[in-house]
Amino acid sequence: MSNNSRSPLNFQAIGIFIAAAVIFLIFGLLKPIFLTPGNLSQVAVSACVNAIIGLGLTFVIITGGIDLSVGSIASFVGIVSAASMVHGGVSPYLALALGIGLGLIAGAFNGVLITLLRLPPFIATLGTMSAYQGCAYVVTGGLPVYNVPQQFVGILNGYAGQIPIIVLIVIIVGVGSWLLLRRTVFGQNVIATGGSEETAWLSGIRVNRVKIAVYALSGGLAGLAGLVVVARISAAQSDAGSPYLLTALAAAVIGGANLMGGEGRIGGTLVGALILGALTNGMVLLNVSSFYEMIVTGVVVIIAVALGQGSKGWFAHKRTARGAAVPQGAPSDTDTVKR
Amino acid sequence: MGEPLLEIRNISKTFPGVRALDDVSFSLSRGEILALVGENGAGKSTLLAIIGGSLVPDSGSVVVEGVRRSEYTPRRALADGVVIAYQEPAIVGQLTVGQNLLIGRSAARRRASTVEVRETLSNLARMGFPLDAHTPASTLSPAQRQALAIARVFALGAKIVALDEPTTSLAEQNVAAVLNGVRELSHEREVGIIYVSHKMHEVMEVSDSVVVLRDGMVRFSSPTNETSTDEIVRNMVGRQLLEFRRTHPVASNAAIFFTVTDVTHPSGVGPASISVRAGEVLGIAGLVGSGRTEFLRAIVKADAGSTGSVTIDGRRVPIRSPRDARDAGIAFIPEERKRQGLILQMPAYANVTITAGREFAQFGPFLNPSRQIAATEEVGAQLSLRPTNVRLAAHQFSGGNQQKLVIAKWIRRDARVYLFDEPTKGVDVAGKAEIYSLIDALAAAGHAIVVVSSDLPEIIALSDRALVMRNGRFLSEHVGNDINEHSLVASAMGISKGMP
Repeated sequence: MSNNSRSPLNFQAIGIFIAAAVIFLIFGLLKPIFLTPGNLSQVAVSACVNAIIGLGLTFVIITGGIDLSVGSIASFVGIVSAASMVHGGVSPYLALALGIGLGLIAGAFNGVLITLLRLPPFIATLGTMSAYQGCAYVVTGGLPVYNVPQQFVGILNGYAGQIPIIVLIVIIVGVGSWLLLRRTVFGQNVIATGGSEETAWLSGIRVNRVKIAVYALSGGLAGLAGLVVVARISAAQSDAGSPYLLTALAAAVIGGANLMGGEGRIGGTLVGALILGALTNGMVLLNVSSFYEMIVTGVVVIIAVALGQGSKGWFAHKRTARGAAVPQGAPSDTDTVKR
Repeated sequence: MGEPLLEIRNISKTFPGVRALDDVSFSLSRGEILALVGENGAGKSTLLAIIGGSLVPDSGSVVVEGVRRSEYTPRRALADGVVIAYQEPAIVGQLTVGQNLLIGRSAARRRASTVEVRETLSNLARMGFPLDAHTPASTLSPAQRQALAIARVFALGAKIVALDEPTTSLAEQNVAAVLNGVRELSHEREVGIIYVSHKMHEVMEVSDSVVVLRDGMVRFSSPTNETSTDEIVRNMVGRQLLEFRRTHPVASNAAIFFTVTDVTHPSGVGPASISVRAGEVLGIAGLVGSGRTEFLRAIVKADAGSTGSVTIDGRRVPIRSPRDARDAGIAFIPEERKRQGLILQMPAYANVTITAGREFAQFGPFLNPSRQIAATEEVGAQLSLRPTNVRLAAHQFSGGNQQKLVIAKWIRRDARVYLFDEPTKGVDVAGKAEIYSLIDALAAAGHAIVVVSSDLPEIIALSDRALVMRNGRFLSEHVGNDINEHSLVASAMGISKGMP
């Protein structure tokens, strides 16, 4: 009984791994160099920014929200931290902390707009997406910041032995996110809020606090991602983060996050980011133009989500859709909403 | 007149576990107003849905002007000239009054339609609501919207109109005008009207004949002028009782344990106050829409703008949110189990421990699921939860067991006050009996219990004392033998002695 009940979840969780394995295998067959350790490490590194942002988004999506400002926060944090080091002489570690802190605050502000002003998350973060991007331009007047200190680059873009540090960071953030979501009171409150905000509220959960914390987390991780982007090119640009909004969102969605709320998987998001990284890397190896790469990426997102819906029961959905017509007019007068 | 306009022939309809309609037959002539009355759950809505084509009967048929309806779709019903006007008028606020009347009309028919609009507006004026076609519908009062919806039905050229509690949002002084309009229009155009209402004086005033539904069957029918309010009410009540007796009725000397004073809800409910003794079950009856749910929600401050003070065991407890209510030991078990009581995709144990706060945290913030599971299994065993596997998602439990999960959230926390809103809604008979025993046991343990229910036998079986709410106020208190269907229904409908 218990195994039975959990099988749909497991099927979907395994489904995404199978999909990833198939994609890796296809590239490996077409270009054997794809599966060499050196290249796989490149794939992992290229997935890192999407993975970090995607993990934060996963929390937001589970609460039933969305954060469109993550790309802008990454840009804003990147340029502020770079400028503080290059122009202000701030030490790299302090700049790192400053950047993550700035991301947390920017994210928490989103949360405040959504809870206290009761703005729909899409609208609130659409607004701050533009506002934070504007802030990123204002900091340096739109000019890039070059010559980021090598020490900073070394922290985020170096190697610990054979392993890129950034991959270690993603592993740590991933494990931490899983523990936070699945093994803490906070995580349970996040899932409850997304599953039914009314139930959570009537059960004594401070729904607004949960939401503000989740957007702060999303902002903080977007900030970290912005710092990684700076370290990887040793320079900061005012709009360096913007492309990552859609790809990180895609990673979360491929990984099984449901934009209706209540559902999302940490492992799924990580694999989703890896799939996107593999697609980019593999198609470069195959000399496919980046224009086609965009088309393929889009198709993969659509297929992944369609498959995810399928395993949740396409037929089950159809059944409820038909069933829903019945209660409308039907069962009894007691079903009318009381006022 | 010859053949009747509408004939309902031997219609039966069963939903899983409920026989909603059982061999229902009656007929409606042109220009007749037929009042369809019955308690909540008697089958009126199901019958309207079948007439309106949104439900298919299991057996029996709807015959319009001698033609047996071949398919049950809303489209077919419209083609038959059947229009159902529901309680909530379907008016689009962004459009003007005139545009609302033209919804669904093709451009080609606009010219003809404008004539209808003019006519509708004159009908409205006759009902005491002179409106201008250019008025934005969003500025209309609830009464004007209701009147507009009724007027529109006649403009649609309907032959058969079902009005589902058309006067609920109308003030007393407007009711007469609207009813007059309805009667004149129906006689003038020979429209047959099925008039669903809980308000006996309206039924007596406006209708030509009465049909009483009870437990899905026609219990009584008569020309209105040959019957009385009393006879109608007597036939409405007396639904089958589930055999249940409380084991420990409240002791006569029990002390007041739970008091709420001057509770108001922003929807206009209250101020209302109750006090409940330790071990007492207080039933709250009333019609759907009388404000019972809002009263309970206001006690736990579920909605912003609610006021009122709460005393438990002689101590005043400040409550600003459901969280405060939880911490004060007040359990609110809401009506919409699936939407307000549970998080369906979460495992049962996570649902039951959702009210636990940090109770199960270890090593700082970390949760140990095995402790949550053990605690849930313990309370589950106490409530004979089936299945016993609390790792299953909440949606895998039956209605009765889902309700047990919601109750378990609070029993595990040792709540002392339980506010139940429709505790057995959607629960089958076996599950009902179990939940009744559970409520009985909670009372026997000395807790204070409030049960809001539209199911009168439920109120009667459970309550030591019952209150009837109408229009957001408590009107009457019933104790002992006075907790019977007749007196509760009479009070809820405002026909008891001494009522305005």
